[in-house]
Amino acid sequence: MLALTFDVGNIWLDSLLGLVTMVLLMTLVVLMLIYVERKVAARMQMRLGPMRVGPHGTLQTLADAIKLVGKEDLRPASANRWVFELAPFAIFVPAFMAFVVIPFTRDWVVAFLDLGLLYIIAVGGLSFIGFLMAGWASDNKYALLGAMRAAAQLVSYEIPMVLALLSIAMVTGTLNLTSIVGFQDKVPLIVWQPLAFYIFLVATLAELERQPFDIPTAESEVVGGPFIEYSGIRWSMFMLASYANLFIYSLLGSAVFLGGWEWPFGSDAGLWLQILLTVLKTSFLILLFIWIRFTLPRLRIDQLMSYCWKVLVPLGFLQVLINGFVLVYEWPDGLLLPFSGAGLLLAGYITYKAVRVEPRSLRMVPKPATATAPPPSVPAPAELS
Amino acid sequence: MIQEHALDTVDINVNMGPQHPSTHGVFRMVLTIDGERVVDVEPHIGYMHRGGEKLSETMDYRQAIGYQDRTDYLAQFQNEQAYCMAVEKLIGIEVPERAEYIRVILCELNRITSHMMFVGAFGIDLGIFGTTFTYAFRERERIQDIFEEVSGERLMYGYFRPGGVVWDLPDNFVQRVREVLPQTRQGLKDLDTLLTDNEIFVARSRGVGAISGEDAINWGLTGPMLRASGVPWDLRKDKPYSIYDRFAFEIPVGQFGDVYDRYLVRMEEMRQSIRIVEDALEQLPEGPILPEKMPRKLRGPVAEVYACVEGARGEYGIYIVSKSGDKPYRLKIRSPSFCNLSALRAITIGNYVADAVAILGSIDIVLCDVDR
Amino acid sequence: MIGVLKGMMVTFSTAMRKPVTIEYPSVHREVPQRDRAFPILLWDNDVDEPFCTGCHACERACPVECMTVIMKDNPKHADGTSKRRKIIDEFFIDYGRCMRCNICVEVCNFEAIAMNNTWAGHELSKFDRNELVLDLDQLMSQHKQGKIKEWVGE
Repeated sequence: MLALTFDVGNIWLDSLLGLVTMVLLMTLVVLMLIYVERKVAARMQMRLGPMRVGPHGTLQTLADAIKLVGKEDLRPASANRWVFELAPFAIFVPAFMAFVVIPFTRDWVVAFLDLGLLYIIAVGGLSFIGFLMAGWASDNKYALLGAMRAAAQLVSYEIPMVLALLSIAMVTGTLNLTSIVGFQDKVPLIVWQPLAFYIFLVATLAELERQPFDIPTAESEVVGGPFIEYSGIRWSMFMLASYANLFIYSLLGSAVFLGGWEWPFGSDAGLWLQILLTVLKTSFLILLFIWIRFTLPRLRIDQLMSYCWKVLVPLGFLQVLINGFVLVYEWPDGLLLPFSGAGLLLAGYITYKAVRVEPRSLRMVPKPATATAPPPSVPAPAELS
Repeated sequence: MIQEHALDTVDINVNMGPQHPSTHGVFRMVLTIDGERVVDVEPHIGYMHRGGEKLSETMDYRQAIGYQDRTDYLAQFQNEQAYCMAVEKLIGIEVPERAEYIRVILCELNRITSHMMFVGAFGIDLGIFGTTFTYAFRERERIQDIFEEVSGERLMYGYFRPGGVVWDLPDNFVQRVREVLPQTRQGLKDLDTLLTDNEIFVARSRGVGAISGEDAINWGLTGPMLRASGVPWDLRKDKPYSIYDRFAFEIPVGQFGDVYDRYLVRMEEMRQSIRIVEDALEQLPEGPILPEKMPRKLRGPVAEVYACVEGARGEYGIYIVSKSGDKPYRLKIRSPSFCNLSALRAITIGNYVADAVAILGSIDIVLCDVDR
Repeated sequence: MIGVLKGMMVTFSTAMRKPVTIEYPSVHREVPQRDRAFPILLWDNDVDEPFCTGCHACERACPVECMTVIMKDNPKHADGTSKRRKIIDEFFIDYGRCMRCNICVEVCNFEAIAMNNTWAGHELSKFDRNELVLDLDQLMSQHKQGKIKEWVGE
């Protein structure tokens, strides 16, 4: 039944083999992801990207990985030894734990967990401890700043994320990821729950700490944040975890909102078609994240927080409320779309109002050239909005 | 035994720089921060001090040109022009018509490259992962290629001489510039779409680090910093030097003096520079590029002169005290970055750490210009 | 929101276009004829000797004092094959100090020195900075082999 588990006879050996497969698969995926990100970014910036190692630079990330492993594992003298050295694991392990319940196809999943969605949320919420550990133990002020930002951001965005997934659980009536995908054999859930998808997308960006929410690791402010003192293998573990998370959240999004392997061919689709559908939908989300990353500037921490607490959380509750009304009073399911769609429009409108851009014009001064111009009169500075 | 006491908070000092990706060189800010708020800023400069003024005093008037490029390394032609104008004033050399036009064209193109650099780096300061930088550099490179064809160098041109320019323009220069300018306009449009209307960019830059016009004058700010604060002061219009009175162009003036206005003013200045270059290409006369009677050795009288140009960052001035001979007795550079940087402390305090980066980026300092 | 979407369209359409960069060390951009790399000495093919007479003009004019010039009597002048009474004996240029200001070329009375306008003048990374001090043979080898482009700027 489960392609990702092994049946040798010994339960420990089975799980060990499953674990090794998973880690290997994950590492491979991450290597590919980094290459794809660098190439796509390069194209968006009119560059060539990695070209040297292997044909079109395909082995570049492998070379980088070898270099990183070979590097000295530095630890600042004033760092707290154990916390510093354990911090990468505190980020690395939850990422892989979340991987356990994510289904690739109808049969390909490491563990069928009836509480799969809850489990992912629970495990995904753990990673901020690693950031805090890394930031605090590094004994570096940038790292500390970054860690505090990470803690604030990750904890805050956990809530809209949970609300978005909760509304899905309400509609489908299950927390089992495979059943959730099975629910979408005709229509993907994004159609019923566009608002929840939007909230999920934004919250995912924040959880992944990618632009425009890469505030904890902001290169131009806190220079990498919690990772600033790490090098070599430990640093690469952070990176591995960050890309693994990107992969996992994209898989989750494709399974929960885009219909995973079910939509549009239904549950009868063959294995290869299922894999193809999963890969396509996941790649779409990953490319979207990469695209956003290389286009948008970074928000400030207060703007980030207010967007979460003032816009996303109320709207998440709104989505849950709408679903509740529809489900409890047994209104027709078709109402989910207009209600949620209206909620999405509301979200767009609120965002638009919040960051409304009134084109600001400059005063153009074509003054006649005079040899001795008097000092210009000082206009009263206008009140800032 | 449990004792109750209030939670203490302490301000921490953060050394931003001299090795920090967004301090634009080896600039160091000691930020005192309370959480994310900046309580105090102490700028430290001098890491880049190479004694350019003193070095220029040990060299004759021709040799020192190479050192003028190296102060503001993003607006080199303007530095050279200021220096050459000072020497010309001191010795009394008339610059031929064609040389003046060449200088104006190159200076305005140089203004575009310098502001392009600003836009690119500013995007990185605000967190765009290199995209604005490459977009701006695409435009910058095209113009830089022209500079290389004209002067032979990509960065330290050393092309102007007291009295004119060292070589005539290459044959296809006019055509090359005319090819490049529309592309620059298109690139500006791209950057405009990417930044100017972007809500996140606007949210990050509007209302941040505002300077009133009065303060700007009191601090001695010049250039785009001053104009963004609503003071229409541009040496090209107000004290026309060279042949700037022959071109039709406008000075963009901001209303609020915040980071966003400084960005807008620079974007508009690039468009005005394109206008000037197009005009100058139309009018470009034929003729000599150096005066007929050029002294072989430049010797100055006993005199003091000051010549200033509107550089990309503000008023770039050269003050020469000559006690006769082929070297200046004293050479002082009035560098715009140094004066503009003086406003940093006042406008950063009270803002967020992220804003401190944006404000520093919007001042558009060049550390070689600050420290000389 | 609209501005963000428009910005995303810009990056998207750019990603569809061809990159503007080139793969540098394997592909070289054409350098213009006026390109100014480090100075080299020119070789007079007619008489088969350097143009340089070792007059110290460039050495005196150099702002960074990167040159060392030693002159000697020209043996070919005694034979009558050359008009140059004096000729260069030793010439050192420290490329690590040179700031490529072109002043040596301007002051030269014999047009014996020029700025290298090929890529060979740019790609000079060395492990030891002493290797950047070039002697007479190294300075002249470029022009001797005819690798220097004709320069229109003069």
